[in-house]
Amino acid sequence: MTPLEYRDLSVQIGERTLLDGLSLHVPPGDFVALIGPNGAGKTTLLKTALALRAPSKGSVLLGGKPALELPARVRAEKIAWLPQHLRADEPVTCLESVAAARFRFHEGHAASLKVAESALARVAASALAARPITELSGGERQRIAFACLIAQDADILLFDEPANHLDPAQQLEVYRLLGELWREGHTVVCINHDVNLLHQVGDGARVRVVGLGKGRIGFDTKLTDGALPRQLGELFGLEMESLKGSAQRFIVPRHRSSP
Amino acid sequence: MKARAASVLVGCLALLLAAVLVGPQLRGAEGHFIIWQLRVPRVLVGVLVGATLGLVGAVFQALFQNPLATSDTVGTTAGATLGALFALSLDSSKTVQGLPLVTVCAFAGALGASLLVASLASSKRAHSSDVLLAGIAVTLATSALASGIQYIADSRALFAATQWSLGQLPQVGYRGVLLLAPICGVACLLLLLLTRPLQAFALGEELAHSQGVNVPRLRLFALGLGSLGVAACVAWCGPVAFVGLIVPHLVRRLLGSGYRVLLPMSMCVGAALLVGCDLFARSIVPGRELPVGIVTAALGAPALVLLVARGRRT
Repeated sequence: MTPLEYRDLSVQIGERTLLDGLSLHVPPGDFVALIGPNGAGKTTLLKTALALRAPSKGSVLLGGKPALELPARVRAEKIAWLPQHLRADEPVTCLESVAAARFRFHEGHAASLKVAESALARVAASALAARPITELSGGERQRIAFACLIAQDADILLFDEPANHLDPAQQLEVYRLLGELWREGHTVVCINHDVNLLHQVGDGARVRVVGLGKGRIGFDTKLTDGALPRQLGELFGLEMESLKGSAQRFIVPRHRSSP
Repeated sequence: MKARAASVLVGCLALLLAAVLVGPQLRGAEGHFIIWQLRVPRVLVGVLVGATLGLVGAVFQALFQNPLATSDTVGTTAGATLGALFALSLDSSKTVQGLPLVTVCAFAGALGASLLVASLASSKRAHSSDVLLAGIAVTLATSALASGIQYIADSRALFAATQWSLGQLPQVGYRGVLLLAPICGVACLLLLLLTRPLQAFALGEELAHSQGVNVPRLRLFALGLGSLGVAACVAWCGPVAFVGLIVPHLVRRLLGSGYRVLLPMSMCVGAALLVGCDLFARSIVPGRELPVGIVTAALGAPALVLLVARGRRT
């Protein structure tokens, strides 16, 4: 199992500061939901852990070693990623696309296909196996991306707004799957905009909600913590309300009265 | 799927056979000479060049994530043209180690230009679009130099350069085959070994990186090997337009596009397409041969438009 640790991490591009001396520790088995306004540096935080972006200062450690210094295949064993957009210009079948995610394993194509088949079954997408990935709907494509992640089978799973552009049923399904993968022992770091969806993951008392604003950590509390509505309000500059639903607490912004 | 691939393969083989057999004078010693010293080597060179151009086209399209990338996106053809012009403006009859100076210079030019681009590509910071831009820049720069040479060259050299730039397959004997076979063979074989990382590339460069692909190294290998193969082909036959662009699209339409199918089948279809075009080029005007480059360009351009127009299904 691999711990993920950000130590005094700063990322600058030109004059712009994306992350500003941020420290965060994610021990194995944690569930961290990253939340924050647009441009707060959430995606950058994920990309530095994937060695897609180099720190300007500080470091990102995967299992104690700087992410940038790990050989590509070793890194892929420790950490995997579900990007915000899946590029799909080439009409490759879904089965082949998922099998390609097995790159880090030294195995034959038949073995990759077998894992890909069971990964597709896990996300209830077996029927899509022979379809070209270019012809899928948004929800279907997200399932394939999940299957890729399952096939890669890394310790830490990073999700960049996995419920983006999905209808409510698909959103709930995505977060249910997230919870399933977490309970199987994966560490999960997930960018999301709607804390209420996180209840779908289950075990809310163990879900960490980390607020990110202007490249720094604003707060780090549990999903069920009473202080969360106030903290979210401060992060987004809104007044938040807590509503009692039949099974969970909903946190929603209070409508601003129109002038 | 397998049946379709098999029927495409049979079609390709039939075309190759036809290219050897079609034509007059097949009897006696003369016929023997025509078949074994003219047609068979010509078909073999066509197979080597077509297969290399087809495969490299498919690999580069995957690598640049751009359906318009071809075997000369990285400046190969422009470099070769510059080299050839340089040699022709000096003296077209010179040879180096028994090889025409034009061939040697074209090879050096093609390799020089594309390795310059490949070395840029292997830098860790470069993105695919940067590499594409570098290829365009190198192409423009070498073309400018070539124009400079054309401006001061005499008319005989200019005529020879035009002839060379049309792309032709005719030859006597097996020298071309023996020259191209090892270079193209090794380049193609090693490129086929990159199928797995290229497949991961299909869902995006950054995702492939996160799945464990060493992106700068993959780019360097693929560009280096592809450029080597294409440089050899261009040096021997001159630039043959459109094969590298159209073949991968054709295979995608015929057989779909997992890279495990796309790459080897692009080789087969590329070989058959070039040999078929050459058969057409030497039969269409009685008593005269057209350079195959004219035929591939004349057929390739409308075929590409047709493919793209009919291919938009989603």
